[in-house]
Amino acid sequence: MKEVKTFQQMYRDGHVNRREFLAAMGALGITATTAGSLLGSASALAASPTRGGSVIFASNLHGPDDTLDPILGTSTIDYTRANTMYNGLIQVWNDMSLHGELAEEWSVNDDATEYTFKIRKGVSFHDGHPLEAHDVIWSMNRHIADGSPSSIKSFFANVIEWKEVDKYTVKLTLSSPDADMPVKLTQPQAKIVRKNAMDWWKAGTGPYVTEEFQAGVKSTHSRNNNYWRDTGQWLDGIEITAITDPNARLNALLAGSVDMITSISAKQIKKIESSGQSVLSVPSGLYGGICCLKNTAPGDNDDLVQGLRLIQDRERVVRKFLKGHGTVGNDHPINVAYGADHCHELPQIPYDPDKAKYHLNKSGYSEVELYVAPVSGAIEDTCLLMQANLKKIGFNLKLKKVPTDGYWGAVWMKEPLNVVTWNMRPTANAMMSIQFGPNGNWNDTFWNSDRMGVLLKDSLAETDPAKRHEMHCEMQKLVSTESGIIIPYHTNILDAHNPQIQGFSNCPLGQFGGNGWAEHIWKTG
Amino acid sequence: MLWRALLGRLGISLVTLWIVSVLIFIGTNLLPGDVAQIILGQMATPESTAALRAKLGLDKPPIQQYLVWLQNVAMGDLGISKAGLGAGLGTPIVEMLGPRVFNTARLTLLVAVVAVPVSLFLGLIAAMHPGTRLDRSITFATLNLISVPDFLVATALVLVFAVGLGWLPSIVYLRGDETGWVLIKTLAMPMLTLVILVSSQIIRMTRATVLNVMSSPYIEMAILKGVPRKRIILRHALFNAVGPIVNVIALNLAWLVGGVVVVEQIFSYPGLAKLMIEAVLMRDMPLVQACAMIFCTTYIVLIFIADMATILSNPRLRHPK
Repeated sequence: MKEVKTFQQMYRDGHVNRREFLAAMGALGITATTAGSLLGSASALAASPTRGGSVIFASNLHGPDDTLDPILGTSTIDYTRANTMYNGLIQVWNDMSLHGELAEEWSVNDDATEYTFKIRKGVSFHDGHPLEAHDVIWSMNRHIADGSPSSIKSFFANVIEWKEVDKYTVKLTLSSPDADMPVKLTQPQAKIVRKNAMDWWKAGTGPYVTEEFQAGVKSTHSRNNNYWRDTGQWLDGIEITAITDPNARLNALLAGSVDMITSISAKQIKKIESSGQSVLSVPSGLYGGICCLKNTAPGDNDDLVQGLRLIQDRERVVRKFLKGHGTVGNDHPINVAYGADHCHELPQIPYDPDKAKYHLNKSGYSEVELYVAPVSGAIEDTCLLMQANLKKIGFNLKLKKVPTDGYWGAVWMKEPLNVVTWNMRPTANAMMSIQFGPNGNWNDTFWNSDRMGVLLKDSLAETDPAKRHEMHCEMQKLVSTESGIIIPYHTNILDAHNPQIQGFSNCPLGQFGGNGWAEHIWKTG
Repeated sequence: MLWRALLGRLGISLVTLWIVSVLIFIGTNLLPGDVAQIILGQMATPESTAALRAKLGLDKPPIQQYLVWLQNVAMGDLGISKAGLGAGLGTPIVEMLGPRVFNTARLTLLVAVVAVPVSLFLGLIAAMHPGTRLDRSITFATLNLISVPDFLVATALVLVFAVGLGWLPSIVYLRGDETGWVLIKTLAMPMLTLVILVSSQIIRMTRATVLNVMSSPYIEMAILKGVPRKRIILRHALFNAVGPIVNVIALNLAWLVGGVVVVEQIFSYPGLAKLMIEAVLMRDMPLVQACAMIFCTTYIVLIFIADMATILSNPRLRHPK
């Protein structure tokens, strides 16, 4: 259909918005589901894809702990490899909607304690074995086994059992309602592997087969010719490596030694673009912030935290340090990238040194110490700016600089004032639960609110969009006034690539469109 | 005499290695966080960290961990990388070291093969014509290069040859089957960096040593006898200067082994030094120890060669009173 192509082109170029696009598709007699997928592929329409070629992808970190075992993944390079080699039960699209992947479809009972998954037929692992229910059960049981090293073990704390109903049906029983379970299943750690797999190289069903893997050096992958779906798989081969030094990584792209680099800083953008390379900047909920521990001094003093909120010159941080590739934070994690759950009614916290001075005087403190490590692109500059602005109103902020290695174990959640960064989660509820929920393992400001717990639970069950939005607004207000988190900015996810490579999606959940680029991108000329 | 010196050296070397291993163990324990916390990173929960610690044997007291390690090493077992074990089945450290040692050895040997003849040649040229424009320009260039840190030289070379001219790759991305010209081109950048840094020192020292010998009475005698200058330097002076020069070369190669740390990191070269940095970042004690032991042994051997060269070339040291 020529019209569809035209509209996709118009959407990509920004001539029509999402709603107009979908309306146009409706007028053409196309169902909503199909229209959604057309929308997804519209961003990848710059040129018609061609088969062939290979790319070298350079991540930001690697080492002897690199792993092909999906449940142990903790870094961009691990997630990228997982998406290249494996598939999950459920996948998340760019618009944050959920779709079956290895599960053809799924259903849930009324109180969200029982899920039934229909497993797709005709899917085979890289070693030729067909995918069946027992593979899914084995893969998922690895997260809940005693002493399981899974990095997302806590996501599945409420699982009673995964049960095989028949060869292609799996039933999941939970001890407590969990409407977010499908979201959890989209995580890269929750990929499906072959039952009793010892050798991960051939244990996946994904678009590319692993040819070579050396932890801390590189891996190479070639096209899986028996892939179960048609997503393009344009590239013949993919090589995945990492260059730890940020300048060396940038130079490698500029010199053409690699094709894609992750985690560039906003300061590097001008250089990259003037050298004829492309930058991928995707607005995201990813943020950098300051944690004030509420269970200890000085964070337990509400006036102190309020003073520190009001001294953040947020506009300037986004303009100067992020060069516009970010959004102003409002001291809660849910920004516009979360769509309908973002509370746009909530007034923006202003930069107000006078009020800040008032609150800081009232707090009784004249000096505090903040632990700073470069965990997020602009966090050091943000803290320096904050220090300078505090000095103007007679408050002494001492910055204790520490390195990033060891930071999460030794400083974060331990020192009374520290800095933090959080990746975006697929839903506002998932993000809020993980950081502020009553059973959250990562309640990094040690703020406990009964009301928050109730709202988190009720909003999951609420089906009326208006009421649900109201609940999310209340949660965002609670976090931004009562908790100990200060969020001056959200950063776009920034990557850079050779302009010959096209077809990236703009999923904001990870680097290069949520780390799942392998099967979609192609190389021209 | 020589055997006694050798045996004595061997004993001291073993003690040095042991002291280094203790220092490294204390050092890695002083650093914040352990391998379990670092693998899990921001994803760590008290429960998952404890599970991983138990799996890796980190729940035992540090001294016990060290003794277990020492016992295994004494029996020739370097153990399994803790980071690798946390990330799956784990690879024996010996297997991890193999390709890394090969890469680092290949790089340093290539550097030595290029740097030593070039710098001896330039050093002698400068010594043969002291005070001339040639000598001054060599001295000026080497002094400048000695003063510049290695990471700056490396970055400047990348900016000129990789980003600017596009002649050479900015990182070393090994496919594993490179030979001959392709290999040289792939390794060119780190080689060039290290050659520049190592040569400057050797050139300076060669020049100084030869000039020192040139001012001694027997050379004066030779000059008075009318021996041509070239012959004086190549025949009389150089042989007496060999001891100190070999000493300088060995010391510089020992420095080279340390110098690769920065260079491997900047060029993302999968060598031993980069592995050691990753191991430190992961707090992977057995892996750090293994790398450190190799570096330390290389250092000790090179210093030993330097000392022996001095003793053998100087009869007075060969027969101490």
